[in-house]
Amino acid sequence: MAPIIHIENIHKYFGTVHALRGVSLDVDPGEVVVIIGPSGSGKSTLLRCINRLEEYDEGSIVVDNIPLDTAENINAVRTEVGMVFQSFNLFPHLSVKENIMLAQRIIRKRSRQEADEVARELLVKVGIPEKAESFPSQLSGGQQQRVAIARALAMNPKIMLFDEPTSALDPEMIQEVLDVMLNLAREGMTMVVVSHEMGFCRAAAHRTILMDEGIIIEEAAPDVLFTRPQHERTKAFLSKVL
Amino acid sequence: MEKTKEISPTTGASSAPYPRGMPRSLPFDSWWLLVAVVVSAIIFLATSQPDPYRRILLFVRDGVTVTVFVTISSFVLTLIGGLIGGLGRLSKNWLINGIASVYVEVVRGIPALVQLFFWYYAFPSIVKNLGTTLNIPFMANYLADPIGMAILGLTFCYSAYMSEIYRAGIQSIPKGQMEAARSLGMNYFQSMRYVILPQAVRVILPPVGNEFISLLKDSSLVSAVAVPDITRRGREFMSATFTPIETWTMVGLLYLTMTLFSTRLVTWMERRTRLER
Repeated sequence: MAPIIHIENIHKYFGTVHALRGVSLDVDPGEVVVIIGPSGSGKSTLLRCINRLEEYDEGSIVVDNIPLDTAENINAVRTEVGMVFQSFNLFPHLSVKENIMLAQRIIRKRSRQEADEVARELLVKVGIPEKAESFPSQLSGGQQQRVAIARALAMNPKIMLFDEPTSALDPEMIQEVLDVMLNLAREGMTMVVVSHEMGFCRAAAHRTILMDEGIIIEEAAPDVLFTRPQHERTKAFLSKVL
Repeated sequence: MEKTKEISPTTGASSAPYPRGMPRSLPFDSWWLLVAVVVSAIIFLATSQPDPYRRILLFVRDGVTVTVFVTISSFVLTLIGGLIGGLGRLSKNWLINGIASVYVEVVRGIPALVQLFFWYYAFPSIVKNLGTTLNIPFMANYLADPIGMAILGLTFCYSAYMSEIYRAGIQSIPKGQMEAARSLGMNYFQSMRYVILPQAVRVILPPVGNEFISLLKDSSLVSAVAVPDITRRGREFMSATFTPIETWTMVGLLYLTMTLFSTRLVTWMERRTRLER
């Protein structure tokens, strides 16, 4: 099976900081990959390179046979790749339903009625159908993040990227977001997740990747990585988070 | 809306339930009082002493239309010019950014009156000279229209200030908003149009309102470039009748009436578009 995401030897500099030092990664369709690692290891940067929110200085990325080169291709990739942010980034001037409808209307050219139906279905799916007319500011963090997931799903993405989706949440709200993500994983969505939720990682990930200092240190199935880490740095990191 | 009740430190009782958006510090609405005073002063003067006050009013009446026309036309054009300039200032393209930055710096460093003189006197001469040199009769016979040139001059000048307001307003929107929009597949302009600007507009409304009022007042400068606005008509009346006190009192009251109503309009718009956060 051909990989749906093909990353080859990516380098990224922030000024003089060498944030990514030659990362290569293939993700198969339907695969759930969880990236872990200490802060500053480049895991979020790598994730943001996949839909080109971050430009990279060297290397190449091909998503679903579309190379990330021209502006047109980048937009085409973005419509197929949903992204969920740590800070939710809902549009505060729009209601929950309008948040989910906006890109459908503009990019997918769906009718108001069609977009409305999709929005309602997705709100049922993430468990907050009663919040359709609310504004983001009236929701809890967990609810906001679930709306953000629904907003990304409304574009019918082939791939979902999650950039520390639960890091900004109060502890009691983390599970409701993870549950939505688990369901997505079970449905066969291709997912790349940057997260420190080891429980989610064990339950959903096909592969766990440990990054440090801009390179992939080790990758394996979560059980293997957690119980029999090969690399010293993996052991050091896991001893702190497990 | 408010979850916590404000407790007044002096009385210990909860604060009186003012309607939302009403200024809490004022026991009565001072704006209405001021408008009432100004308008009744105009009416009183015009009826009690028709000569010269009523004559002044009739004489400058055309000027009011001109002032309003020049102000509103320039303002609408400024809103567009400022948006272009503001986006230029935010552009990552060094050429676009450079042009926008130089424009803003140059315009802000030259007095508005001097700029108006340039557009009215110098610009047409440049066009004529060019037309003569290149032998283009249409340009050689170019005649500047005072009102057109005044609107052009005010727009060119005020767009620079407006650019900075737009820039600050757009920059005040968190970066994640643009990223979220782009990650959904919207291009730069779609993201601006549907996500960033609707939020920025609410932020920039107060300073834009102030710009409108400044523009209304600065429109009196166009009287120096042959535009028959209120100020110029006032000057004509004064030199014909030798009544400086009466003339400038009345002209001042007319401007005050217009700015008072503009202030109110801005406040009303701010209230209507307040963001529910």
